[in-house]
Amino acid sequence: MAARTSYSEDGQRGKPDFQSLVDLHYGPLYRFAMSLTRTENDACDLVQQTFLTWATKGHQLQDPAKVKSWLYTTLHRAFLESRRRFTRFPHLEISEAEAELPSVEPDLVSHLDAQDVVQLLGQVDEQFQAAVALFYLEDYSYNEIAGILEIPLGTVKSRIARGLAQLKVLVLRKPASPSKEKGGAA
Amino acid sequence: MNSSEAREVLLLYRPGTAKLADPQMVEALELARQDPELGRWFEQHCAFQKAMRAKFQQIEVPAHLKASLLIRGTVAPEILPPQPWWRSPIWLSAAAVVLLLIGLTGVWLKPRVPDRFANYQARMVSQALREYRMDLVTNDMHQIRQFMASRGAPDDYHVPQGLEHLQLTGGGLLSWRSNPVAMVCFDRGDKQMLFLFVLKRSALKDPPPEAPQVSKVSQMVTVSWTHGDNTYVLAGPEEAGFVQKYL
Repeated sequence: MAARTSYSEDGQRGKPDFQSLVDLHYGPLYRFAMSLTRTENDACDLVQQTFLTWATKGHQLQDPAKVKSWLYTTLHRAFLESRRRFTRFPHLEISEAEAELPSVEPDLVSHLDAQDVVQLLGQVDEQFQAAVALFYLEDYSYNEIAGILEIPLGTVKSRIARGLAQLKVLVLRKPASPSKEKGGAA
Repeated sequence: MNSSEAREVLLLYRPGTAKLADPQMVEALELARQDPELGRWFEQHCAFQKAMRAKFQQIEVPAHLKASLLIRGTVAPEILPPQPWWRSPIWLSAAAVVLLLIGLTGVWLKPRVPDRFANYQARMVSQALREYRMDLVTNDMHQIRQFMASRGAPDDYHVPQGLEHLQLTGGGLLSWRSNPVAMVCFDRGDKQMLFLFVLKRSALKDPPPEAPQVSKVSQMVTVSWTHGDNTYVLAGPEEAGFVQKYL
């Protein structure tokens, strides 16, 4: 799937205009925000805050090619900032099973919907969640994910690997809901 | 590299996107080709990744988000040129403190601002520009009326004929001096929104007359009027023939 990368420019130092920027990125940014917050209102707030930050500070970005990763970084920073105000959400203790790297039948995933997947990601260790979300949502290289999350490359790989292992265990543990079982593959 | 180590490396393989510049990945892939058990595990892993990726892409984006972003974007500060010294943050902060002190003194010395229509109108426009959020996203006016009625907001409002041609996008419950305000949102069709605010006329000391009054508040055109028990404010981006089009 080729992402649209061209922008209309506003004539000021080749910067993309606001509407083009929203058109291109609000959807993917919302999905990333939803993966982090798991509630629609919080995710919308994060996206709003991200674009507001762009409107006030975006002119400081020198390289228009980096707009997308700048937006992701800004959203992630805003999320981390908001998290400081809340108690950590308890997650399942799965570190023992994590070492097994289990095999998961793809059929198990087909029983899930997007909301289930977001909820499962919420049960993965908090520090792994953003890396795993970017891993699934975008075609970013590990280097680019490292840049967005502002952590070293090795840490990114480690977080993704451990996060994926936890996610697999959670998928295996999740009981299929009766309505989805009856409905079969849609 | 043994099978267990290969699994750890292959965990980071992404179908269709992985670059094979990593010699460890190349070695692990080779091992998966030779070891049937590892090969099966890897095949399932790839299918799992593909399925999970598809699920993440299915996260639905709320219909109102884009319009809300664009509205806020139009009022957000544009790229700023270098500013003179007296507009630097320090001087602005100092000026703000002085103004705040003057303002507070004014509040202490004068009676409270009455429930004037101009205050209400300015607050509603401000809501539309900065804090607007729909509680209900729907194109069904009946649903919006029911929602407003359940929350004590005006639900018997009259929608001008001109607005009936626009796409209804939803509504929200606002408040002004503890009085519920019904906000009904319409899409003008070019990613611009129009907002109809309805408040009980009894909440205002000086409700506007029945004949529509046009004014500009912040960056929006507003038309206000009173009809029956309700006071209406229609707000939207500046546009030629606004009244003729939408009333």
